[in-house]
Amino acid sequence: MKKIKKYSRREVLRTSASITSVLTIGAGFPSILKAENNIKVGIPTILSGRVAQLGISVTNAIKMAVNNFNNAGGLDGRNIELIIRDSRAKPDEAARVCRNFINSDKVDVILNAEASGASFAVQEVIRESGTLCLHTVSETSSLTADPSIRAWNAFRFSRIGIHDAVGSAKYAAEIAKEKGLKTWMSVNPDYAYGRDSDDTFFWALKKFSPGFEIKGKGWPKIFQPDYTEVITQIARAKPDAIYTSLWGGDLVSFIDQALLYGIFKNTELFAINLADYTTMSAVRNLPKGLHSATRYVAAWPNTQDNRDYDKSYTDIYGDHPTNWSWEASVGIDYLINALKETRSTDTKKLAEAIKGKTRKSFMGVGDGNTVSIRDRDQTIVDYSIGWGTTISNEPYMTGIQGADWNTIKELENEWLTDKGWL
Amino acid sequence: MEIFALLDCIISPACLLSQAAGGLKIGMLLFLVASGLTLVFGVLGVINFAHGALYMLGAYFSWQIMSITGHFGLSVILGALGVGIFGLLFERILISRVYNADLLVQILLCYSVVLILDDLVMIIWGDEFLSSVGVPEVFQVPPLFIFDAIIPPFHLAIISMSFIVGLILWFIMTKTRFGRLVRAAAVNPKMLEALGININLLRACVFMLGSFLAGLGGALAASVGSVVSGMGNSIIIESFIVTVIGGMGSISGAFLASLIIGMARSFGAVAMPLFTDGLMFLIMVLVLVLRPQGLMGNKK
Amino acid sequence: MLFLNKDNFQRDVFLGLLVWLILIMFYFIFPDPGIHDIIQKVFILGLFAMSLNILIGYLGLIAFGHAAFFASGAYTLGLFLQSDFVSNLASFSIPVAMLLAVLVSGILATLIGAICIRLKDIYFSFLTLAFQMLIYSIILALVNITGGDQGLMGGFPKPPFLGINLGKPFDFYAFTIFISIITIVILRQIIESPFGYGLRMIRDNSERPAALGFSNQKHKLIAFIIAGSIAGLAGSLQALLDVGAYPEWAFWSKSAEPLFMILLGGMHSFLGPLMGALIFEILNDFVTANTRYYGLVLGLVILCFVLGLKKGLLDWILIKFNRK
Repeated sequence: MKKIKKYSRREVLRTSASITSVLTIGAGFPSILKAENNIKVGIPTILSGRVAQLGISVTNAIKMAVNNFNNAGGLDGRNIELIIRDSRAKPDEAARVCRNFINSDKVDVILNAEASGASFAVQEVIRESGTLCLHTVSETSSLTADPSIRAWNAFRFSRIGIHDAVGSAKYAAEIAKEKGLKTWMSVNPDYAYGRDSDDTFFWALKKFSPGFEIKGKGWPKIFQPDYTEVITQIARAKPDAIYTSLWGGDLVSFIDQALLYGIFKNTELFAINLADYTTMSAVRNLPKGLHSATRYVAAWPNTQDNRDYDKSYTDIYGDHPTNWSWEASVGIDYLINALKETRSTDTKKLAEAIKGKTRKSFMGVGDGNTVSIRDRDQTIVDYSIGWGTTISNEPYMTGIQGADWNTIKELENEWLTDKGWL
Repeated sequence: MEIFALLDCIISPACLLSQAAGGLKIGMLLFLVASGLTLVFGVLGVINFAHGALYMLGAYFSWQIMSITGHFGLSVILGALGVGIFGLLFERILISRVYNADLLVQILLCYSVVLILDDLVMIIWGDEFLSSVGVPEVFQVPPLFIFDAIIPPFHLAIISMSFIVGLILWFIMTKTRFGRLVRAAAVNPKMLEALGININLLRACVFMLGSFLAGLGGALAASVGSVVSGMGNSIIIESFIVTVIGGMGSISGAFLASLIIGMARSFGAVAMPLFTDGLMFLIMVLVLVLRPQGLMGNKK
Repeated sequence: MLFLNKDNFQRDVFLGLLVWLILIMFYFIFPDPGIHDIIQKVFILGLFAMSLNILIGYLGLIAFGHAAFFASGAYTLGLFLQSDFVSNLASFSIPVAMLLAVLVSGILATLIGAICIRLKDIYFSFLTLAFQMLIYSIILALVNITGGDQGLMGGFPKPPFLGINLGKPFDFYAFTIFISIITIVILRQIIESPFGYGLRMIRDNSERPAALGFSNQKHKLIAFIIAGSIAGLAGSLQALLDVGAYPEWAFWSKSAEPLFMILLGGMHSFLGPLMGALIFEILNDFVTANTRYYGLVLGLVILCFVLGLKKGLLDWILIKFNRK
């Protein structure tokens, strides 16, 4: 009896295995899409694994805008159709997904929501194909700052390392002056973004308040669970201030573990990526008085538009928007406007309509609350960069000051000249 | 490589002791997890690639229990026990089918469980990372200064707890009948069966114990770190390194190797902060080349 | 000759060319570029998996660090194409860079293999894993050369050679498949040669070959070098496709991919891993287009294969139809 039962179960498993494989072979080939009149936007992003929140909050923001557009009748009856694919944060997958968007799905626009490494892979694909591409998410400066990587058909709607660094350094320099902070340490994740952030921050800090001393630098790996070896160094060196560009769960772990050593009693923490709702709400007993840039908070910019944006997003999705959400929202807003202006999906015309354009935005701090896509490098400027200190409950931030874009642009030019990119 | 930074650190008692204490804590937490892995390998002969996923489950379980009961001790113990029971089911339902299979089949079976669990926790607990479980109030005090070394009391607790667990393991394995049976099962399971010992039960117990240790490591890690899908992936590689360096199947070897890795991480962060991972793999290569059976392993 | 078996060789070349021509016809019958993309990736990854299967299927050595050679091929090709030395060769630059990629991977495999083959079983697996992770750490650390975690950036030129312009999708498709098929035919000769049977003998009974008077170690090392070189070739094709190289290709999870393919397709039939690559790629395309839970689906499929079929699909089919 027993034996028969066992055999049949194995048989079931075996059959199911063969069915699975047959099914996958039969259904796997990408279905050739119905010829429709829709405006197709392909979004390569990360929807799985530990940074799934990135793709989710980006696509949420985009769907919100696209639904409004389509409900209002679209472009002469043509709707925007979103095609969203998961690259699982792999650069070669991101490239493949993009090639498929372009060749099989025949998308009109690619809205790239990949992290840094994969963004460079996307850039190479669209450089070859000439498809219009809007980058959101990736903050590595060189994607648009380095002329050899830039492409005429790519625009960037995301924070950039160098802008954030200058804004941060300016704020940090003022606090340093006020509180007499002389010695610094840094803790940055050991990958391109972290190194970039460390370089540019201290470069800019030197411009504003020279004469500080760097007592050491910690380079934890990205997604490292345990920061003890870095924290013991900080506890011993007792610097006046720490700069960190850790983000998300890593930053939360770092702060939790540093609290055990009582680090923040005598040391000021400047955490550029702390003020995102998901991160702040995840730090247990968020200490008062940590400094952070405003990634995205409803409290900054302190305008009705921004509070409305937060509310409409929260009403639909039950969560606050993230930094990635606002970037995607601004990007899709530019695209929709360009579509309306040109009444066309031609890449050249759309690119012309985006290039150099200034638009009112809830994140805008330019004249009349605007952001601009700069002509020179097709990159967004005049978006809100604020710094403030944390408090333990919502709205989590207080004493926010906005960064001055004139200073940012001035120093950015200096930095570009240093790099030989201007 | 900043060799002078390392020299400076070694001649300064404060630095030497603080980094050593940090290394001790990293090593001991690693030992909890790696001892489970090496135990399972030693007795069952299975490389449990899913050990890191069990560690992650420990973190999630203890987070869940903490949010229900609000009791720290309970969350750690029940979290670890939960993983032990999960491990028992895992062994009975899946692992027990591949004891005699190819190494490749065993590895892929475990890896498929990793893939499944990583997604499953996201389906159950959401896509975003969870905040840490938190440290009990007793430990929310300023750090201690012991001979110039800065040590948070919580780390002392973790170190001593791992130490005690290690001692208990050593006691069980060497001084009890269960331990003798387990060691015999590692060498000659057929013989034990002939003697009327229920080898399946023995294997299940060992696997449960191994899973419990992984879960305990995860639950403790969750007290001061965010809980997230895929968090087991870095610890499993480190556990492999420990297992290999110490000698596969050797608990005392795992203890020694965990200390080595803890110190390498802690002092490596001073001397060559950009190559600490590379350093660990270098040690692993050297051990495998010069002494494949590991520092404390028996030559087969 | 050690490797050549004339009758089979002619037949295999004929079959290979036939398959190539059919796939070229296929290109025009199904003009969807998504399908072409899948097919060329199946061949690239299939090559990668087949090279690993020399060690796993024929030698019984579970190498867990095979992606090291895939990555070395990709980075070598990319770095040479970006260098003045090779790009000055203009129309010859791509063939030269590909040859160098295979050569460098082969040399790397010689060095790593010479050390690894001294160990057995799980120790061998762990040592290959450790070497791979060491190489991964080095790629990350040498930011100035490799671009660190961002990969080799800025692309590289793909000048036409012999009338082949790899910038054009059709040329790339035909070229990739042609190179893959040639390699597979050569590999087949090796596997069916006395040398190949020597490998099987080592796998099945490591005492006897030694008694017959040939060196186990030498056979293992040569097999390791061949496997590493072909993985390097696959890596160089992948780099040509993506116009870049990424450190992810040297990470241990990349080594797991060919293991999946071998499991899915079958390790005991010559073309099993290629079949596995086909299943893997289609699964990949299908699952990512339909769900975010890729790991869950892939994990369940693998579970079904491990516990249900207990062998790869092609192995299963061949046994089912009784003509192995």
